[in-house]
Amino acid sequence: MPVAISSFACCDRCAKLGSIPPVSGDRETTAPPGPKAAIGTAPTPTDPSAVGRGALVARRRLLKAAVSRRIPEAPENSEAQPAAGGTAALGPAPAEDRAAPEQADFADVAQQPRSVSGKVLDVSPHVLVLGDQGFEQRFIIKPDALAWRGKHLEPAALRPGDNVVVRLQPGQRDVADRIWANIGRVTGVITKRSGGTLIVDEGMTRKPQAITLDPSALGRIQVRFPTLEPGYLLDIIGLRQGAELVGLIPATSQPSYPADRPPAAPLVNGHVASAISGSATWHEQRDEPPGVLGVDYPALDPDTRCAEDVAHGGRRGYARLPYLAIGSVLRIRNECTGIDCLVPVTGCAWIARLFNDRCVTCGTSPRGRIVDLTLASFISLGGELERGCFNVTVTIGE
Amino acid sequence: MTMPLSIALMEVQIPLLAAMLLGACGTKVALLVRRGSADEAFGPTALFPVSARRPVAIGLCAAEFCLGVGLIVTASSQGAIARSVRGATSLLFIVATCALIELRANRPEVGCGCFGDFSTTPVSLRSLARSALLAVAAFAAIWLRPGELHFTPPHIAELVGLLFAELLLFGALSPEIGEGLIRLGYSEPCELQVVSSQRTLSALHRSRQWRRYSPLIATDGPADVWRELCWRYVVYPARYNDAPADVVFAVFLQRRRPAIRAALVDGATGETLRSPTAPTMRSRLRRRYARLAPQAAGAAAGPTAMAATANLPVSTDV
Repeated sequence: MPVAISSFACCDRCAKLGSIPPVSGDRETTAPPGPKAAIGTAPTPTDPSAVGRGALVARRRLLKAAVSRRIPEAPENSEAQPAAGGTAALGPAPAEDRAAPEQADFADVAQQPRSVSGKVLDVSPHVLVLGDQGFEQRFIIKPDALAWRGKHLEPAALRPGDNVVVRLQPGQRDVADRIWANIGRVTGVITKRSGGTLIVDEGMTRKPQAITLDPSALGRIQVRFPTLEPGYLLDIIGLRQGAELVGLIPATSQPSYPADRPPAAPLVNGHVASAISGSATWHEQRDEPPGVLGVDYPALDPDTRCAEDVAHGGRRGYARLPYLAIGSVLRIRNECTGIDCLVPVTGCAWIARLFNDRCVTCGTSPRGRIVDLTLASFISLGGELERGCFNVTVTIGE
Repeated sequence: MTMPLSIALMEVQIPLLAAMLLGACGTKVALLVRRGSADEAFGPTALFPVSARRPVAIGLCAAEFCLGVGLIVTASSQGAIARSVRGATSLLFIVATCALIELRANRPEVGCGCFGDFSTTPVSLRSLARSALLAVAAFAAIWLRPGELHFTPPHIAELVGLLFAELLLFGALSPEIGEGLIRLGYSEPCELQVVSSQRTLSALHRSRQWRRYSPLIATDGPADVWRELCWRYVVYPARYNDAPADVVFAVFLQRRRPAIRAALVDGATGETLRSPTAPTMRSRLRRRYARLAPQAAGAAAGPTAMAATANLPVSTDV
């Protein structure tokens, strides 16, 4: 799994967005305190693009809050009329009036699972050591902790060198309760097939991905993905082996249409509801800094000039969702666990727009993919990576 | 004398079934022509591999057309052919019901495809009930004896009434009706409309809020523009009391006279500043009056006015 191994990427869950850390985990990049804490330090240089994005999110939120409140008038003179405010008092109020940030109920940090990613240095039945040259961190493994490396196994069966994502016990920084080793996911359009190997296009901003279908899983994959031909959509979870993914688990059922000819989206009558229920998926971080809490949203304003829109001529795809921008904040509630969290939009989910599928993790989701979460956000909301999705309700305008 | 209800019920099934079958066939053909391919799935064909979808789709359309026409042609006969057509229609709807149950279990996101593009709503119990009822209707029509019918005005009224009631029932069970009504009177919600930033800026530059804040704005173009739901936010760098500030506008995305809100935000602290008041007619008149005041009121102003103007480069010695 291509994580930035030199760092411990810690998702510190639903942080205050007013002072959002662009790369969550900044506290983890320095040696954490405590007896079981790191030996040595290897601070990760903060990604400037992520800093810019985090600052943008916070700035936009601040400005939106300012303009959404009623603006106090500077009295030009004592006879100035309130009507001098002109159109400011007219028309519907922006969404912020309904949910001012001061009133927004941010999730309690202690209630959210956090995640750490890194390379296994050593593992025993009770202790997991992650790290890289000169920097290591130890985690206590809970007695009932589970690990996954293609299948469920005991944490002690992990191997040094495995790239792992560790879910930490809520409120405890050094207790691991779930570990995924070498997990990867490829979601996109098949561009080439050669025997059991597929090349998948994940969009303009990501490199083409190679998937080798594991012979033992081929039958199961073909039941859910009967058309492994160029032009059709694919979503597979598996084990990372370098740049290649060994496909093991079909993450959804394949849409029956080619990616360039999705069916007409259902029409929406009246106003769009502020709370939309559907499916949330996750994506590998690829070029993103590790541990980013964010969400890729399928319907960014076309004027945002999302690279995929430019490349594909602004094709709408199947998902019809209200237009938002980078920095918009969504309240995402995992309907399977009840955990909810405010998460900023950090990217566009072009591929998610093409899928008309359903998540069946806990009942059938009323509609398809409405958000594509970063790995850290997915875990923070209580998702199980190998399941691929969970049912969510997304509230817009927080 | 009225005919037995059971006979009347059986009688209305023939035109109803024929209309349903021909309508379904027509909408499917229209969809296939529009797509230009029968390889893409609609409804239960999604259960088949890609290579089998084309023959299945064509076969389904052909079966619907043949049975629809067959029902009409054999409506007044009671022979083996008529019974076979009605029996085959019943069988088609039984198979369709089973296929929809399968589709609902395995591909919950796929619509039934019964009426082409109109049937994109995922298969629900309503769609299943409709298909099952149609199978029952076709089954009931097998034993229809045309000789028992008496086409007198009361009988025709009874038949029309029954047909209307049945149409209402099937309409209530058809998600396509809602979809069709939405299409008829559809106007896209503002949250889904594509509105260019250029249009938003044009509307903003014509607004009163813009005239009010533009003296403070320091640059020609906005520093940031983004959209959220029905609002587009536009930020301009500004100077206020010799300190950097931002003027942020929120423009509602509608074609005519959009609502516009504005705020002045301190560039350093992010605090909202008290905004300047828009010039009202009264303030404009007062300012104009103030400019003319020294000339008009000079003579009558008295010593105070004279003192106030003593520093002017005008001789006051006289």
